[in-house]
Amino acid sequence: MAIYSRTIRANYRNAVSATYPVVRRIVGASLFRAAVDAYVDAHPSRSGDLNEYGDAFGDFLHCYPPSAELPYLPDVARLEWAVDEAYRAADGALAPDAVLGALSHVPADALPHVHLGLEPSSRLVASSFPLLRIWQVNQPGYDGDLRVDFTAGRHCMRIRREPNARCSECDDSGIMIERIDAAHFEWLSAIARGATLAEALERAVDTDPAFHLQTALQKFIGDGSIDRVVHAVAQVDGMETSVTGLKAPRD
Amino acid sequence: MSGRSATGRDTRSDALGRKPSNHALPAAAGLGLRAPHVSHVLASHPPVAWFEVHSENYFAAGGPTLRALERIRSNYPLSLHGVGLSLGSTDALSRTHLHKLARLIARVEPALVSEHLCWCGVATRHFNDLLPLPFTEAALANVCAHIDEAQHCLGREIAVENISAYVAFDDSTMSEWEFVAAIVDRTGCKLLLDINNVYVNSVNHGFDAERYLAALPEAAIVEIHLAGFEAAGRCLIDTHGARVAPEVWALYRKTIARIGPRPTLIEWDVDIPAFAVLEAEAATAAAFLADCDAVAA
Repeated sequence: MAIYSRTIRANYRNAVSATYPVVRRIVGASLFRAAVDAYVDAHPSRSGDLNEYGDAFGDFLHCYPPSAELPYLPDVARLEWAVDEAYRAADGALAPDAVLGALSHVPADALPHVHLGLEPSSRLVASSFPLLRIWQVNQPGYDGDLRVDFTAGRHCMRIRREPNARCSECDDSGIMIERIDAAHFEWLSAIARGATLAEALERAVDTDPAFHLQTALQKFIGDGSIDRVVHAVAQVDGMETSVTGLKAPRD
Repeated sequence: MSGRSATGRDTRSDALGRKPSNHALPAAAGLGLRAPHVSHVLASHPPVAWFEVHSENYFAAGGPTLRALERIRSNYPLSLHGVGLSLGSTDALSRTHLHKLARLIARVEPALVSEHLCWCGVATRHFNDLLPLPFTEAALANVCAHIDEAQHCLGREIAVENISAYVAFDDSTMSEWEFVAAIVDRTGCKLLLDINNVYVNSVNHGFDAERYLAALPEAAIVEIHLAGFEAAGRCLIDTHGARVAPEVWALYRKTIARIGPRPTLIEWDVDIPAFAVLEAEAATAAAFLADCDAVAA
């Protein structure tokens, strides 16, 4: 039975290591192993697909006493999970022109009620720590200044997989992590939750009164982050009929 | 054997760039393809007859991993080998898992789809390991129902693989080979015969490996697995982390001499060596297959 116990532990350690290389690098191999073993006991696997295992590791680390001295560690794990999900997400398909075209066909009075959709690999992570900087100095091969300014404030990040693998800002696997401003972050988060354009705008303006909708639409449609426009075209007998203006093919 | 080059590589893809036949794997030596060797295979197109991958490693909805597999599939016959469907569990088969497998099958059109004769979890808990079944009528009925369901849901035959085991159940009322043969008989599924697992179990549980091999329905054997084990005291552990042992090669030779050449896979999953080491193991299998062909001719 010890053989089974050893194999099972090793399988989970390998799977979680593959998803969380930065956490492992920060805490060291032995603390990481202990944390994974404790995580496996607290969050048993429910799926035969190990790719999906480890989603709650960030939340787990938040309450894991041995890592209490590293308050940013849970956020590092959340970022790594977002990267992992982005890597495995379905391929997006639509060109920005098609999204802009669909939006231009929405009648002006219907615009506030439009729902937008984010392309499948988009993920949003915010941290009260300078998370992107922590991430960068812990990348293999990084040999620059190792200091992190913890007074730098909140980091809001957008993670996505670039369809064009030769993009200059992404890593070998095509993952791009980009710091975006807080209002853009709140706006995209609202869209991701399924809010209407009006609701998303309210969230963004609450965060920063200088938020400019046109700029945000241009930026995030232009770079392919927004790949769907869904709007209500007609009200028939008081019943709202939703149609998909444009929808990227999903698997 | 027309349609195969001297290396066993399927050369039947035509001028329109259609994929190699997906009806069957060639009766030649293939390799288990793992992540560290994917870029090498894509860049240099080594002369390997076919590849097998673990299905779950490609369960992503999209992305570069899946695109790489599609490129490999356009150059080689491919077999999908599942490690997580848990056919032997008393839990219901996971519909999500079957859906992901069906999606992958539609995407890469594999020559063969296989799973293990094991259970991986119970009461919704998954252990993500291949755990042995008791060889009883109840376990047989349960695993057969799940194989029927999987074959129905996927719309194709699957092959099931005998696993290695480090425990045996007092409850068992039949031998492992009777259990395996009964599954094939009842479900019409095919057999992925892992000769290393037969050898490991014969040592661990004290039976005659040749007797086991002779008792299997040979027409159902559509693929053979070979891998390395490691010894831990009196117990052999199927680590897939070493070369194929001489005893296993000997059993392999006898088996193909009796049943004829079959698609044969070299598996190596831990401490994965240089690709050339895997190619050398495949060459050994290919030489035995060629002997077998020569005798038949």
